[in-house]
Amino acid sequence: MLRYILRRLGASVILLLVVTLMTFVIFYVVPRLAGRTTEQLATMYVGRAPTEAAIQATIKRLNLDQPLIIQFWEFIKGIVLGADYTFGNDVVHCAAPCFGYSFQTYQEVFPAILERLPITFSLGLGAAVLWLVGGVAVGVISAVKKGSIFDRISMGLALGAVSLPIFFTGQLALAFLVHDWGLFPNARYTPFTEDPIAWASGLLLPWLTLAFLHAAQYARQTRAGMLETMGEDYIRTARAKGLKESRVILKHGLRPTLTPILTIFGLDIGLVLGGAVLTEQVYSLNGIGRFAVTAIVQSDLPVILGVTLFGAFFIVLCNLAVDLLYPLVDPRVRTAR
Amino acid sequence: MSTPETGSQGNGLPVVSVRDLSITFSTDDGDVHAVQNLSFEVAEGEALGIVGESGSGKSVTSLALMGLHRGTRAQLSGEIRVAGIDVVTASDQEIRAMRGNDIAMVFQDPMSSLHPQYTIGNQIIEAYLTHRPTASRAEARRRAIDVLDRVGIPEPAKRINSYPHEFSGGMRQRVLIAMGLVCEPKVLLADEPTTALDVTVQAQILDLLDELRRDLRMALILVSHDLAVVAGSVDNVLVMRKGVAVERGDVRQVLNSPSHPYTQQLLAAVPRIEISRAQRRAQLRAEREGKTTPAAAETPAPSQRSTDEEPLLSVRNVRQRFRIRGGLFGGATDFYAVDGVSFDLYRGETLGIVGESGSGKSTLSRMIMRLLEPTEGTILFQGRDITHLPERKMRPLRRDIQMVFQNPYSSLNPRMTIGDSIGAPLRIQGERDDKLIRTRVQELLERVGLEPSHYNRFPHAFSGGQRQRIAIARALILRPQLVICDEPVSALDVSTQDQVLRLLAELQEDFNLTLIFVAHDLAVVRQISDRVLVMRKGKVVETGDSDEVYENPQHPYTKQLLAAAPVLDPDAARAHRAERRRLRAAQPDTDVA
Repeated sequence: MLRYILRRLGASVILLLVVTLMTFVIFYVVPRLAGRTTEQLATMYVGRAPTEAAIQATIKRLNLDQPLIIQFWEFIKGIVLGADYTFGNDVVHCAAPCFGYSFQTYQEVFPAILERLPITFSLGLGAAVLWLVGGVAVGVISAVKKGSIFDRISMGLALGAVSLPIFFTGQLALAFLVHDWGLFPNARYTPFTEDPIAWASGLLLPWLTLAFLHAAQYARQTRAGMLETMGEDYIRTARAKGLKESRVILKHGLRPTLTPILTIFGLDIGLVLGGAVLTEQVYSLNGIGRFAVTAIVQSDLPVILGVTLFGAFFIVLCNLAVDLLYPLVDPRVRTAR
Repeated sequence: MSTPETGSQGNGLPVVSVRDLSITFSTDDGDVHAVQNLSFEVAEGEALGIVGESGSGKSVTSLALMGLHRGTRAQLSGEIRVAGIDVVTASDQEIRAMRGNDIAMVFQDPMSSLHPQYTIGNQIIEAYLTHRPTASRAEARRRAIDVLDRVGIPEPAKRINSYPHEFSGGMRQRVLIAMGLVCEPKVLLADEPTTALDVTVQAQILDLLDELRRDLRMALILVSHDLAVVAGSVDNVLVMRKGVAVERGDVRQVLNSPSHPYTQQLLAAVPRIEISRAQRRAQLRAEREGKTTPAAAETPAPSQRSTDEEPLLSVRNVRQRFRIRGGLFGGATDFYAVDGVSFDLYRGETLGIVGESGSGKSTLSRMIMRLLEPTEGTILFQGRDITHLPERKMRPLRRDIQMVFQNPYSSLNPRMTIGDSIGAPLRIQGERDDKLIRTRVQELLERVGLEPSHYNRFPHAFSGGQRQRIAIARALILRPQLVICDEPVSALDVSTQDQVLRLLAELQEDFNLTLIFVAHDLAVVRQISDRVLVMRKGKVVETGDSDEVYENPQHPYTKQLLAAAPVLDPDAARAHRAERRRLRAAQPDTDVA
């Protein structure tokens, strides 16, 4: 068991390194392969209207004139230990973990991300609870009442929901539910610590929008898994024991169905916590996703890089969490590895 | 069923009584009558065997006894009473109270019948608490440990916290029996409880069921496709065919002097371990000559081989290693599935390889086929070393070594017509003339007992036995020297099994085939083999002339296997049971599986 945990941890560290390398390659190596010179590359990190002096300074700051391996080393060193950037006579320290420094807004990227983290977390976690509970519940009922009106309607809706992007459903919700009918307050973020009720009511619509899309997928998955599980021999054994049907479904049927769903959930929540780009943009919530969108519009490369890295780290961490939870859910994993 | 003259222990009221039961499934193609006008009774403490081949309605009947037909499309008429409850009309709640409490069921496949994500203790305790809601958890746990101990799980207090995957198949079946016993039911219903198990484990489970029913005075309903399985364990037997009971009565009477032609036919099809190879051969030949087969000049029985003849296949000290991954840094440990096996096989001979699961018999046949490359040792085929021959050089040799696999349902490509499947080897070997291929395939189809006009049909249109005939035709199309049959009949019903075995024997004579016959069923192997190889854990424990091995086994494991083999004669079966008890007492270290 300890062995399993250590192996998962080791694998995650290696994965993080690989993710960092990939990000580095995308931002520092690919442009060169596409024919950019060192100067042109540096220009991208300076922002708009660069002067020759500023470009030269940037080359020095980012070690762009050094061999790639040194550049990568400095890149990693920056993340782990922090880095110093010199501006003429000034030295700016970017504290560890240094995900970069924006030369447009003159701020460190990591603290800027942290500042927006509560918004993204509030949005992501709330929506995740909704879509997991809602999706699984609908899926179970659909499977148990296979072929019923409920099953047909919910699966039809689910098919629709999976195919509708958030910028469509979100805009519709804004136009009708908020403006025309006034059923929901407009989306706004109030910190939970200040006013929990305002926090919840302000996020309700973004939660529902984000959850709607995911819940559809979970409902379909749960339904399919449940139909398969309920045909297993051990379900017949459970019935032969004289258990109530509700117990057969909820204890014996649901657990094996949820096991693969846990894996998908780990991926999805990692993705959302790294920034729910579309939802944040549609509802003007200043989370990490919106931060990234702004940076892209202004071609603030260090911020884009930082957010990318941060998002990737979150996916790796959530997967690690799922891997560590797995033996609790499925005992066979404990001895199998 | 319990008639006074049977003298069985049944002297009370019937605990199970079925009157005029009919079970119908309505389908798009009309109604399917799975069971028709079935009636029987089981008295307290009595054991009834229900025997039938696939499609006989025996499993549908046992599910209906548990009320497990509810929620399916089955329509019942007639009456089923279990411990006073009318299963057909009772409310769901009454049925639930009956299940597990008055009648408990043990299923066929112990590997999939326990929930993989809960401990066995959790599952047994759950069954107890369902019917004894006032009992405390500690009490339920004590009771669970008691029953686990009763069914022979070692260290039950510790093992109660184990998960199903930590047990072998036989042990899981014991756990399922324990789960059935926990509420002290009046009837234990076992539906093919040993079909998925090895011979020695099968014997252990049957012995356990027999002992439990005597000690706990439970009624036992043992459902099986195999007459030999029920012979030693039941008082009365009911033979079913296509949903109808064709014969029922005292087990000794039914097995010794069956009155219905179907029972007679079924009994004749059961392979008998006491019949020697020569007897069987003589019997088959007599039957064949009696039939109006074309008077092709019968080749005389394979001549006694001269000692200086070169063996067709010569296997020397082969070992097959598998690496088992594991360890902190993906380290691997070695495991030898086949460990130092040697034998010679001469032309026209049949070698039987017997062993239980994990004995390495399938691995060995895959090595001879060179689907696996042996780790050590040598394999000579027609005097040529093929041990490490690269695939490119192996390919021309493949026409001489063919294989028939165990599962006729998955070893034929469902999207190819059977004609294409059988003809494929010819094409692979370079034949381009479509007309010729078609003629050859159709000849062979006829030879294995199918219609040449079936050429363009797909596998799903055929039964298991027919599919196995197709697989045999596919193996024979290239006129191979050696055919390896890996459990070719173990997935088939007894009467189909008999037909396929007859076919193999005929084909062997006609094509002068050399056969390797791999199986776990000792009786089947004896009928077809000149020599046998008994394998256990990758090693050969005994080898020799088949009659010699069967009549005078030397190795204790061979003796154990033979004692475990089910026999048809009820009295002999009971004698075997006593013999097994003696063997177990003599060797307390024998692994209980």
